[in-house]
Amino acid sequence: MHIVVVLIGLCAGILVGLLGIGGGVVLVPALVHLLHMDQHLAQGTSLFVLLPPIGLGALLEYRKKGVVDFHAGIYCAVGMLLGGYLGGRIAVPMSSRLLTQFFGGFLMLSALLLWGKASKQSPPQPTASSQGGA
Amino acid sequence: MKKSIGFLFAGVAGGIASGLFGIGGGIVLIPIFGLLLAFEQHKAQGTSLVALIPPTGLLAVLAYAKAGYVHWLTGVLLIPGLFLGGILGAKIARRIEPLRMRQVFAALLFLLGAWQAFGTWRR
Repeated sequence: MHIVVVLIGLCAGILVGLLGIGGGVVLVPALVHLLHMDQHLAQGTSLFVLLPPIGLGALLEYRKKGVVDFHAGIYCAVGMLLGGYLGGRIAVPMSSRLLTQFFGGFLMLSALLLWGKASKQSPPQPTASSQGGA
Repeated sequence: MKKSIGFLFAGVAGGIASGLFGIGGGIVLIPIFGLLLAFEQHKAQGTSLVALIPPTGLLAVLAYAKAGYVHWLTGVLLIPGLFLGGILGAKIARRIEPLRMRQVFAALLFLLGAWQAFGTWRR
């Protein structure tokens, strides 16, 4: 059982580096569907996992390529501390089922917005122009 | 200065999503950086990782912990894999060209969202 948990962490970690995210978007569905946690428990556990600087190794890889804006990142971090508290206060009283669907809908919506944007900017890039729209 | 205020607000938006959904907040920061602040996709992702280094979710964790919504053991076991996997994923990302990177990002996000939203219907 513990090995499964460590493996889930490794898979989520690959996405952390690949996508530059915290990993919660992978951890939460994995904890809910693979470990059968309740939505709130999954979200709380995910937030706890994200406290240590798990993305540090990934960040150093991005830095080697020079694609990091530290100024923007630090300002964001300050805002996030405050926003995180507000979000937590909103989520805790919600029902687990509603929260799950809200989360899933939110992810799909952001994905569609991004995909649309990625396709619109494609003409100057010949390699990606064969990709379809949203 | 105006730009710094923009970054601060991006952080607040990311933080609300972080606390609300138990996530890091990168999935909100990256679209904001990429679409509103015109960062190239790799730079948006690298910068998002900077914002996720400090324990920005600390206040959110306390809110969940107070309600008993944290499974500590599972959390501890997840950490080493995440760290190592992160390095591996970043090495893969460096080989992907920027536009394709944004499409990979959007596609994975959509799949995760669908898994989360429709997974509940089976139970």
